[in-house]
Amino acid sequence: MAASFGRGAMTNHWNDIANSDCIMVIGSNAAENHPISFKYVTRAQQNGAKLISVDPRYTRTSSVSDIYAPLRSGTDIAFIGAMINYALANDLIQREYVITHTNASFLVDSKFKLEDGLFGEVKDGAYTKDTWKFQKGANGVIRKDTTLKNPNCVYQLLKKHFARYDFESASEITGTPVGDLKKVAKTFVGMSHRPEKSGTIMYAMGTTQHTHGTQNIRSYVILQLLMGNIGVAGGGINALRGESNVQGSTDHCILFHIIPGYLKCPTAGNTSLQAYLDKWTPKTKDAKSANWWGNYPKYITSLLKAFWGENAGKSNDFAYDYLPKRDANYSHMALFDAMGRGVIKGMITLGQNPAVGGPSAGQERDALGNLDWLVAVDLWETETAAFWKRPGTNPADINTEVFLLPAAGSMEKEGSVTNSGRWGQWRYRAKPAPGDAKSDLWMLDRIARELKKLYAQGGVFPDPIVNLAWNYGDGDEPDPHLVAKEINGYFTKDCTVKGKSFKKGQLIPSFAYLLDDGGTSSGNWLYCASYTEKGNMMARRTRSNLKDDPIGLNQDWAWCWPVNRRIIYNRASCDAKGVPWAPNKPVIAYDRVAGKWRGDVPDGGWPPLLKPDGTQDPKAKYSFIMRAEGHACLFAPSLKDGPLPEHYEPLESPVANFMSEQQNNPVIKIWRPEEIGDSKEYPVVATTYRVTEHWQAGAMTRNLPWLAELVPDAFVEMSCEFAAEKGIENGDRVAVKTPRATIELYAVVTPRFKPFELKGKTVHQVGLIWHFGYQGIAKGESANMLTPMVGDANTMIPEFKAFLCDVRKIGKGGVA
Amino acid sequence: MSRGVLVDTTLCTGCRGCQVACKQQNKLPPEETTFFAKAGGYQNPADLSARTYSLVTFNEVENKNGHFDWVFARRQCMHCEEPSCVSACLVGALSKTESGAVVYDETKCIGCRYCLLSCPFGVPSFEWEKTVPFVRKCTFCFTRQAGGDAPATVNGKALDSEQRARHKETQTKPACTKACHTGALMFGEREELLVEARNRIRKNPKRYVNHIYGEKEAGGTSWLYLAGVSFKKLGFPMHLGERSFPSYAKAAKDGVPHVMLGVGAMLGGFYWYNQRCAEVAKKGE
Repeated sequence: MAASFGRGAMTNHWNDIANSDCIMVIGSNAAENHPISFKYVTRAQQNGAKLISVDPRYTRTSSVSDIYAPLRSGTDIAFIGAMINYALANDLIQREYVITHTNASFLVDSKFKLEDGLFGEVKDGAYTKDTWKFQKGANGVIRKDTTLKNPNCVYQLLKKHFARYDFESASEITGTPVGDLKKVAKTFVGMSHRPEKSGTIMYAMGTTQHTHGTQNIRSYVILQLLMGNIGVAGGGINALRGESNVQGSTDHCILFHIIPGYLKCPTAGNTSLQAYLDKWTPKTKDAKSANWWGNYPKYITSLLKAFWGENAGKSNDFAYDYLPKRDANYSHMALFDAMGRGVIKGMITLGQNPAVGGPSAGQERDALGNLDWLVAVDLWETETAAFWKRPGTNPADINTEVFLLPAAGSMEKEGSVTNSGRWGQWRYRAKPAPGDAKSDLWMLDRIARELKKLYAQGGVFPDPIVNLAWNYGDGDEPDPHLVAKEINGYFTKDCTVKGKSFKKGQLIPSFAYLLDDGGTSSGNWLYCASYTEKGNMMARRTRSNLKDDPIGLNQDWAWCWPVNRRIIYNRASCDAKGVPWAPNKPVIAYDRVAGKWRGDVPDGGWPPLLKPDGTQDPKAKYSFIMRAEGHACLFAPSLKDGPLPEHYEPLESPVANFMSEQQNNPVIKIWRPEEIGDSKEYPVVATTYRVTEHWQAGAMTRNLPWLAELVPDAFVEMSCEFAAEKGIENGDRVAVKTPRATIELYAVVTPRFKPFELKGKTVHQVGLIWHFGYQGIAKGESANMLTPMVGDANTMIPEFKAFLCDVRKIGKGGVA
Repeated sequence: MSRGVLVDTTLCTGCRGCQVACKQQNKLPPEETTFFAKAGGYQNPADLSARTYSLVTFNEVENKNGHFDWVFARRQCMHCEEPSCVSACLVGALSKTESGAVVYDETKCIGCRYCLLSCPFGVPSFEWEKTVPFVRKCTFCFTRQAGGDAPATVNGKALDSEQRARHKETQTKPACTKACHTGALMFGEREELLVEARNRIRKNPKRYVNHIYGEKEAGGTSWLYLAGVSFKKLGFPMHLGERSFPSYAKAAKDGVPHVMLGVGAMLGGFYWYNQRCAEVAKKGE
């Protein structure tokens, strides 16, 4: 989504789902895995909204949906492609929105084309990208055709690209009956392309965990932009985060390629702060583009000031040299590969359980045995912490020294979490942690202070550690308020910014006041305004009433990044004159008398593009301020695997790619080609998923007796037709085999799974729950023993959701 | 007024939050379960028990429009308007309260288990494995319903009247209804719930079968159900009739005093006659 809109986060928020007229849940089973979202989905349905569930099997989400459509795992692009084609071919798009807010009118390099499933030349596993660019005029501004007739404009390219995805062709790929596909397209497009109506897409890991996961999301982006559904109430693309604080951890840079606030992690070539800024600060020559990322220098400088305080100054490039420079990919699979090869010697895991959650988990367990030391911080002794005594292992053969640190639970410590909808919410400690359990903050604080002491005595390059600003109070427990304040940021000297005077040590009211001269510090510019002189904004708990806040923004409840803006890209909820498309549920509207926007915090405070008389407003800026071009990207040149989504088969697939000769995403990295199964030996499609009753890798739920009682065993679900073929009955023990491993579990034989018909070939799919492992009260084999070690071309997220297997019966079991 | 719960199975997502909330509220020990194939592999435990007062059932069925559907229903004490368990209990350990709850007083219970046999829904369970066993079933969170005043402050801040009212509402409703986030479980006055249920059917006749289960079954129950499929397919008992179960026994039980007096009088008569005969015989000597 960052490549399309400028920010990689849920566009709207949980309560806003209630405003929708049509909800499509695809790549997600929200009723089971995000149950509380159904409070709002149900509310929308009671107001007349239609719920569409698209899933390989009939789920608990499907059970309350108005329309259910099955699709084979890994074929979202063909499915959504058919919907896009239906919209474009029948001109069921919100045309004015598309021209105003998207890059539909931009002219693309005339040599750009798709040939044999490729968007140009691939060299050394990467596209050369030489035609993935826009035509520019003499002034350096992108050339446009707002009539959308030029054959090189994005709109015409889209039309041509998706014309290949007619209902029949798409159905042959997805296995969705044509009737179901048409019904979904007609319902979703028919409802949500109307300006006053909105449709939303709720997705999760069923979308992302593919070799073309990013492009799956891109297909949603294109559909939603054509429908005029981004920035509006009840619209958006809602990435449902699987864990209560995943959004927060991403914002604060849990990923290897970014540092806090989505700033790029410096790479080996970025040898100085200036070189870093030259490389990553986006530029535009279009005066109407706000190009908010042009503020890069302010954000990185303030971050460096937060890290190294007084030790970061102009004289030492604000200590930029202290930042590590990466020269490789450090994603999950790369790290475990390096562990397996003995390159990485030690690891700290906090609340993570890769022995259950990682791809090809058996190899991850083996890799842990190559470590010299492992620190596992968790509420329980997880499979990762106990890998050295797992079944079939002799502990004497493992030399890894394992430390298990008991952690405090979320109710046993104070601090903030950031939910999917980008709300930072303050939580209080409900009770002290039992025994020796400590908060993560306590442990990290101890480690950092000890490291500082040790490095003060010398080391290879002690400066970054020794000079680190580290002041979180003198108590036994570090003060979470000091951490939150540091994240927000302080003025580091007396200064006047934008006509307002500030004293040294004052908290910064918003990121608009950040400076690039070292006058401000901010641990994460996105969170600047979360903890100000007015207090801890995240601790606010005032509900709004329906009369003043009909779309439920609840602006005084907690705090939302950026600057408490509840629906991002909300400028697109209005036409070029600042009038809302949907007058009955406006997000913002431009008040001509006051000369400002009303409603939610506008995504860019500039006036609308056009004055009431239809003339251009010279002070105006485009609506997608986080993109250098100022427009949302129907055509996105910044990705690694193509500016438009094209259907490729998952790496392991039962059929050839019916769309082109190119079987898989051409720019993916395959770690172990010898472990990839082919469809002759492994004819059955498999996917993995979660159930309501268990949580992720299971440590927190398989140890709870009440939940272990509900789902005591791991199982694999399959259709009655497939089971009959294999002589399997409900409750039988079966073996599921892939080239990586074979595991045994219970069979659930159910009419909720159906075989797929792919161009006359019958293909069966099964689904496994992946929560299980050898620790806890409820034990079972881990589905991730089976999953392949291959990831998305852009994000490196593993392809957990589509692989091949074989299934056979091994015996009776369970309670009949 | 008597309270009840309206269970709208068309809104239930089968999350089982209610089932766990029930265990938490009643501090019920877990059951050691294993894969239960019969109900499609999801439902667990297999049945209600002295450790499981409520159970979400998983039903793979054809709905009224002929489409496949996965429907989640719920089993727990129905809190009958005229409960047969109350009528069957020899010692008055079970009683129907004004609030609607059928409550159990273990201090009176003699362990005869007539209540288990008499229940048309097969609900009460007996603690067979204990040395001093009692009968267990859903209490309708009778004690929750009775309490629930808000604390003066939360997180160091005073609560305003609206917050206090909201606190009271959430703290006094049964735990299962508090846990339900989709509105599938609605707690309220039984009469109002019946009006609501009728409205839902009237407004959306395609969604529902025209039947409010519990309105009349066995003389009516505090718990009421709506569904999009026939209740038979969801495993509900269908031939309970509209009369309350105790009413069947009423004629016989009402007869007891008359029979007792009649038999007594008759035996007295025999005695008198016998004595008189003996007296006459004596005189005759």
